Amino acid sequence: MEIRLSKISKFYHSGGQTIKALDNVNLTIPANRIFTLLGPSGCGKTTLLRCIVGLESPDEGEIEIGGEIVWSKTQNIFVPTEKRGLGMVFQTYAIWPHMNVFNNVAYPLQTRKTPRNIIRSQVKKALHFVQLEGFEDRPATKLSGGQQQRVALARALVAEPKVILFDEPLSNLDAKLREETRKELRTFLTELQITAIYVTHDRIEALALSDLVAVMNKGRIIETGTPRDIYFHAAHRFVADFIGRTNLIEATVISQTEDATTVECALGTVRCHRHPGLKTGDPVTLCLRPEFIRLQGGNAADTLNVFSGQIESLVFIGEAFEGEISINDTRLFIKTEPDSNLKVGDLVHFTVDPDYCLLVTA
Amino acid sequence: MTGKRSVLTPSLIAVVGFLTVCPVAMLIFGSFSTGLGAFGTFTLEKYIQAYTDPELTGIIANTIIFVIGSSIVATSLALLLAYLNTRTDIPFKFLFRIISIIPMMIPHILFSVSWVLLLNPSNGLINLFLRQVLGFENAAVNIYSLPGMILVEGLLDLPIAYLILAPAMASFDVSLEESSRVCGGTTTGTLLHVTLPVLRPAILAAFILSLVRSLASFAVPSIIGMPGRIYVLATHIYQSIATGFAADFGKAAAIGMSVLATSITLIYLYRYLTSEGEKYVTISSRGFHPTIIKLRRSKYPLFGIVSILSLVLIVLPVLVLFYTSLVPYSMIPSARAFSMMSWKHWLEVVNDPISLLSLKNSLFLGVVGATLGVTLSVFVAYAIVKIRSHASGLLETLSFLSFSFPGIVIGVGFMWFFVRTPLYATIWALLIGYIATYLPYGVRPLASAFVQVHSHLEESSRVCGAGPFTTMRRIVIPLLIPGIVSGWILMASMFVRELSLSVVLSRPGTEVLAVQIFHFAEDGLWGQLSALGIIMILISTSLVVMATLVGMKFKPVEERK
Repeated sequence: MEIRLSKISKFYHSGGQTIKALDNVNLTIPANRIFTLLGPSGCGKTTLLRCIVGLESPDEGEIEIGGEIVWSKTQNIFVPTEKRGLGMVFQTYAIWPHMNVFNNVAYPLQTRKTPRNIIRSQVKKALHFVQLEGFEDRPATKLSGGQQQRVALARALVAEPKVILFDEPLSNLDAKLREETRKELRTFLTELQITAIYVTHDRIEALALSDLVAVMNKGRIIETGTPRDIYFHAAHRFVADFIGRTNLIEATVISQTEDATTVECALGTVRCHRHPGLKTGDPVTLCLRPEFIRLQGGNAADTLNVFSGQIESLVFIGEAFEGEISINDTRLFIKTEPDSNLKVGDLVHFTVDPDYCLLVTA
Repeated sequence: MTGKRSVLTPSLIAVVGFLTVCPVAMLIFGSFSTGLGAFGTFTLEKYIQAYTDPELTGIIANTIIFVIGSSIVATSLALLLAYLNTRTDIPFKFLFRIISIIPMMIPHILFSVSWVLLLNPSNGLINLFLRQVLGFENAAVNIYSLPGMILVEGLLDLPIAYLILAPAMASFDVSLEESSRVCGGTTTGTLLHVTLPVLRPAILAAFILSLVRSLASFAVPSIIGMPGRIYVLATHIYQSIATGFAADFGKAAAIGMSVLATSITLIYLYRYLTSEGEKYVTISSRGFHPTIIKLRRSKYPLFGIVSILSLVLIVLPVLVLFYTSLVPYSMIPSARAFSMMSWKHWLEVVNDPISLLSLKNSLFLGVVGATLGVTLSVFVAYAIVKIRSHASGLLETLSFLSFSFPGIVIGVGFMWFFVRTPLYATIWALLIGYIATYLPYGVRPLASAFVQVHSHLEESSRVCGAGPFTTMRRIVIPLLIPGIVSGWILMASMFVRELSLSVVLSRPGTEVLAVQIFHFAEDGLWGQLSALGIIMILISTSLVVMATLVGMKFKPVEERK
């Protein structure tokens, strides 16, 4: 089901001040995709999710789920949460401690007055799907964090909702389990062909799980796109910086040709892939991700965008070396192979492929 | 939902406001009136009369010595017990938990009576033993004295101080102590320079709560103080309404005003300290085990102290009462005493219409009162924990106010109110008074139960398609049951043994157990008193046992994270 949000705003009042939790949000979430709302804490992503599910009401705007208006300020429509027919996994999982696994999972069917034999088979199916067969009689308090998370997922799926919502469901798991669960979740959701809305502040989770990512900040949606789009072709400085480690360098456009945009910055002249819409003299920010700064010890190959600098620091982190290079007064984060034999103080040449030279204006 | 909520809080404020503000307001009006009959004409006569009384200086001095003395006894004993229990390898730790729930089983009046039976100068059992067996001619340890009152009240307030200190002690962040050790501090030095200073807010809170309790105490001053002609403010108030030709409720109100003002000040100081204390005593979230200090040689002597305390607190009072209920008059246990034992006093009590009426009234008040009280508490706790507006803040303050109410003073305030309503001299007057005075005992366990019900648990039920009513029935209520049960039992056992409010409000026809026991004590009918007392203890004990059983049944719910 497609979800459409138009002109959603929500305000909080605290200490005489009005805080815009959501500021005129317009968003269309396509059917049967995994859609992630990504942003720093306090950016409004959870508030937006809670407005969709109906646990909070916006102050302005309209929400449409699968063609049906569930909230509208102007038409005075409010469909309560329980009538919206959605599934949701909470950050705390919200597994009811006084029930066993079966009753927890069966609850959405019981509230819909489903016949008993169907409940039984549906719960069995849902538990099988999350790989918890045979856990029916286990008390909810006797489950590990990962198992609680699966029960929460089974409960959200059991009534076969058209939309399922996730509010930072992995944040309470430890690092290793989080990685495994993330992969499983991706498999589950791809298999289900369901519209999933996923809220997180973890960029790796967002990139790994989603078909589409919307980056939010201060109650607004800054940019929406596929994970690769957002990573490589962000249009906003905030997005480029939030989605991954990056070097941000102030620059000025010096020429604009058919296949390239060239800028002048503290590194010197840098040739970038063509950014349409920029004019000579425009102030821009050059974003260079550490992983695309290619170090070449020894002599400089005769190619584009060759610079040289001195290694200021180098830290071995197992899968790579991370460090800093100084060029004039500018420092760049770099990342290089773990088998590199570079040392602090070495003079190095490095290149950056114009394809990975991103220019952002806002 | 929002519509219902907006009505809920104001109506609760109205109910709780009536229960708590009404007696205080009536007390104030009453103190400016000449008498129960002449209400509304402003006069300062009663204040002048009450505060120019030459006896008052002595009474205030007694009160200060009694209140501070017993609080010091209670707090220091509680500190010792809490430290030994949470931080040392002392054996038989379950004894400590028993000590902490004792006051719920043995009503204060009976505890006081049992000490009178042991230590009164003319025929207390210990004194008889000293004279008749050991031959000390004039030896008499006189319980009817200020030190006697302080000791008994201190023992009675010990559990409440323990209940504040033990959790603070247990949640103490050990790394504070460990870093003192690493810096070279000794065990004793660490205790004095780190542990106790960090726990200071909790210790002060326990001390202040003991002050409030002993200021409001009526059982000890009336049973132990009055026979020795040692009066404190509580008994002074009682005297002006219960003795002489005309009960003077105006004078009682005028004196009560200063007791109430002191008590309210103290209880808000307590609240301030406990909220400060949360900042102070850090609870680390990771699983931690406080370092257990090995007591080595002092292990058994210290255990001896604890055993004697538990003996004194639990076994002795019950034994003395049971013994007294069987022998015809006070005599030390001997072959002759055992041969003269009979059920005579028990039969007298069972055939005494007033004792039976008091039993019936107390049971009614316990069961019906606790049920109504808990019902009100559910809504109040819901509004305080879940709604969180300015209005619910006011509600919290109002319901907390009655925590400071000294029973006898608030009884005088209610008297001024009830006397002008048809409720006067009915059991309902007592019921309303009880709920007003003991409301925090219901609200507290329920508020913590509501805190446990994370809002996500309700919200996920809504997402699963359940409406507000189904959510209440299937999710919220089942999770609240442990809180409801413990609140009910707490209130019921308080109501069954209520004395200080009842001595004011109870009239012929509405006698209750504690008042009947009080009258037996005034008449010196110790045998009948003991028999009725044992019945009372049995009722309270079975309520506490019920609480423990129900609590165990619901334990998985409480252990949830």
